[in-house]
Amino acid sequence: MMTTRRQFIQTAFGSAALVSMSHSVPAVLLGASRQTALSGEDRILIVIELGGGNDGLNTVVPYGDENYYKNRFTLAIGRNDVLKIDDHVGLHPSLRGFSKLLEQQQLAIVQGVGYPNPNRSHFESMDLWHTAHRVSENAHLGWLGRCVDESPVLAGELPAIHYGDGRQPLALGTRTRQVASINSLEQFRLNVGNKRKFTDTIRGDLAIRRDSNNELLGFIHESAGLALRTSERIENVLDTSSTARDFPGTSLGRKLAAISQLVDSGLPTRIYYVTHNGFDTHSNQAAAHSGLLSELGDAIAALMTDLQQRGHDKRTAVLTFSEFGRRVRENASRGTDHGTAAPLFIAGGAVRAGLTNKHPGLTELDQGDLKFSTDYRNVYATVLDKWLGIDSTPILGKSYDSLDLFRV
Amino acid sequence: MRIDPISAWSAWRPDEREPWNLMRAAHLMRRAGFSSSPDQLDVMVQDGFDVSVDRLFACDGAKVFDESMESTEQVLSSAQDPNALASWWLLRMVKSPTPFLEKMTLFWHGHFATGAEKVADSRSMLRQNRLLRDHALGKFEPMVQGISQDVAMLVYLDSTDNRKTRPNENYARELMELFCLGPGNYSEDDIKELARCFTGWEVRRNEFRFNKNQHDQGEKTVLGKNGKFDGDEGVRIVIDHPATSDFIARKLINFFVTDDVVDGPFCEPVAKTLRESDFDFSIAMRQILSSKYFWSSQCIGKKVRNPVEMAIGLIRGLGINFNMNELRDRLAALGHLPLFPPNVKGWEGGRHWINASTFIGRVNLVRQLVSGAPATFEAGSLAKAVGTRDGQQSGDWLPRLLDGFLPIPLQPSSLSSLTAIADRNGDGQDQRIADMITTLAGMPEFHLN
Repeated sequence: MMTTRRQFIQTAFGSAALVSMSHSVPAVLLGASRQTALSGEDRILIVIELGGGNDGLNTVVPYGDENYYKNRFTLAIGRNDVLKIDDHVGLHPSLRGFSKLLEQQQLAIVQGVGYPNPNRSHFESMDLWHTAHRVSENAHLGWLGRCVDESPVLAGELPAIHYGDGRQPLALGTRTRQVASINSLEQFRLNVGNKRKFTDTIRGDLAIRRDSNNELLGFIHESAGLALRTSERIENVLDTSSTARDFPGTSLGRKLAAISQLVDSGLPTRIYYVTHNGFDTHSNQAAAHSGLLSELGDAIAALMTDLQQRGHDKRTAVLTFSEFGRRVRENASRGTDHGTAAPLFIAGGAVRAGLTNKHPGLTELDQGDLKFSTDYRNVYATVLDKWLGIDSTPILGKSYDSLDLFRV
Repeated sequence: MRIDPISAWSAWRPDEREPWNLMRAAHLMRRAGFSSSPDQLDVMVQDGFDVSVDRLFACDGAKVFDESMESTEQVLSSAQDPNALASWWLLRMVKSPTPFLEKMTLFWHGHFATGAEKVADSRSMLRQNRLLRDHALGKFEPMVQGISQDVAMLVYLDSTDNRKTRPNENYARELMELFCLGPGNYSEDDIKELARCFTGWEVRRNEFRFNKNQHDQGEKTVLGKNGKFDGDEGVRIVIDHPATSDFIARKLINFFVTDDVVDGPFCEPVAKTLRESDFDFSIAMRQILSSKYFWSSQCIGKKVRNPVEMAIGLIRGLGINFNMNELRDRLAALGHLPLFPPNVKGWEGGRHWINASTFIGRVNLVRQLVSGAPATFEAGSLAKAVGTRDGQQSGDWLPRLLDGFLPIPLQPSSLSSLTAIADRNGDGQDQRIADMITTLAGMPEFHLN
């Protein structure tokens, strides 16, 4: 069964929260600067890829379902340990950062996200998430890259930034414009002796056209120009803006701290992309998964606090996703194998907090795996149409209904 | 433009129109090695094309060099620091008298990608590295049989346990998808059946062993063949599949010849050589490196210089004494640290090497190599390393240096910019040359291979 419409929403703390939210002041009544902040023109999306396949069942735990305990004989999270959201599900105890965000109405949880005919290969399933199921059309175009190519909303300089090492994610794959990858802000400083002289010479050199038939040279030529321009902007950020404080010293914490600084610096960038890897927990999952989740929850909570203090929380949304969830039944190595549907999270000052859609049933399985209740492209459509103000239909190849995930 | 595959892979000979010269010798050494100094290139030019290619395959001096590295290896592998092992391999690339063998080993490492961080045992990583080097210019089957029982590989792929009742599918999947056939040439059932062949293959205390009690003795059907296959036979069936020669030919061509996507029909002459030689890589590589295509303008300069090629190439080309631990950290930041591939698919390569961040990192690394505090030169100075004599203007030595460095000529205006830096008044000669090479690294042509 494929559900394209939101089936029901349950807020974290019952209907009272929903009522109070409906009384929030309409954007048109707010001051000019605030109105801009809510008009979609400078809203920011931060995407966090959870690489390896996050175990959704031990992330949003169906502690009210005895089948969960039957299938997870060593890995189950005890009823008294989950951070309860409602009578049926609760968060992994390492996700204290997320439960704090729920209390502050800053976290939406979309349950049972997946797609038809699930693919259990890391590479292929990740490709589907990155390209939004149009692999055959052009293997190098990502769903966000397509926005960079096509949407006037992202026409400015540095529309998107991949923050991290490793290869650039396919999601940011573009046809016409390049997306910048940044390892660390400090590494973006040119260290070449006389920097002014160097940049002047190279800028002059890059102004000279090269053989237009040499495509590869053209690509590097364009990269060099983008690199110089980006480096200049980043150095400016480093020299003028204040670094983020109170972030955990984890890998993800450092990445989000840098992104918070970039957001605050007034960079025109609308999309940031980071990865958080290690979720392929085939053996001895418990400790590793717990560490990964606390790193995730704590880093996002710190980010929201920092953005709130700097006045950017209402214009920022953080989307997490993973290529698949994991098998319902744990394996013989105290781990879990590749599965299908899983929950994803959207954090931000303007999200409609709480649970969206049903937790997949543990008795209605397909080859031992959960059936999805939300197509991931409905989530993408929501983020594009309702948050970034980008028409999702040409990006996703057809029209997908939006979910009710934002209070905008 | 369509190129006739038979003609593309037929033998190239230097002639008056396409003479054997410094630029062509440099092309050969950038691709089939890690570049050479202008003096070494001169020797190659004098010796001629055939002798130069023969020398790549002769691997003279490999044994003496290996022995000289042995004590270092023992110390490193007992130290259990995989980072130190990466520095050791970089040092091999810098010092080896047989750079082609190291380049082939780097290719196979990317093909049978295994990450030292997860393996977390230097001895196993070193053993795998030796296995790859031993077979790098040999035959495919002994290499694949070896890698299938290689401790580092099996640990990396979570395949240290393989019970009759619970066959581990991971190695069977990667053997077909990534090592031999490529996606689309096998079914999920083939994976399950091949996994049964590998039952009883285990790793215990960092040693491979066959546990007969855990081997599934029953009949299996793998890629259309039936029998009571064991693991060795399973590996052979996969290698013998017709898709293997095509898959391996493409990977060799993409690593050594061009970053462009190449299709099956175009690669067929190389695939045929593989099949007819029982996958002898010295024969296939000789065909590739002596082919009309390899020596055509369609290939020269049509790859992105990968970070290892860029750094080791400068170090070898200029005789730089550089700290390998420092180099290791910088290559890691550029996404190309040997023994630390991004995943089991290895390095994507090509345009993925270049983005805004790595471009700045590449320029900074070049600066560090020619002017950083840890950099000194075997020739005594950078000026001597690039081949200048007292009082010479850049016009006397720069063209030769650039012929060795770059696969395609610079724009005239770019050349003037470099000349102006090298010949400016004030500052020492080394300083001016370092600034010039740094500026060269900011030009797009420098990043081509």
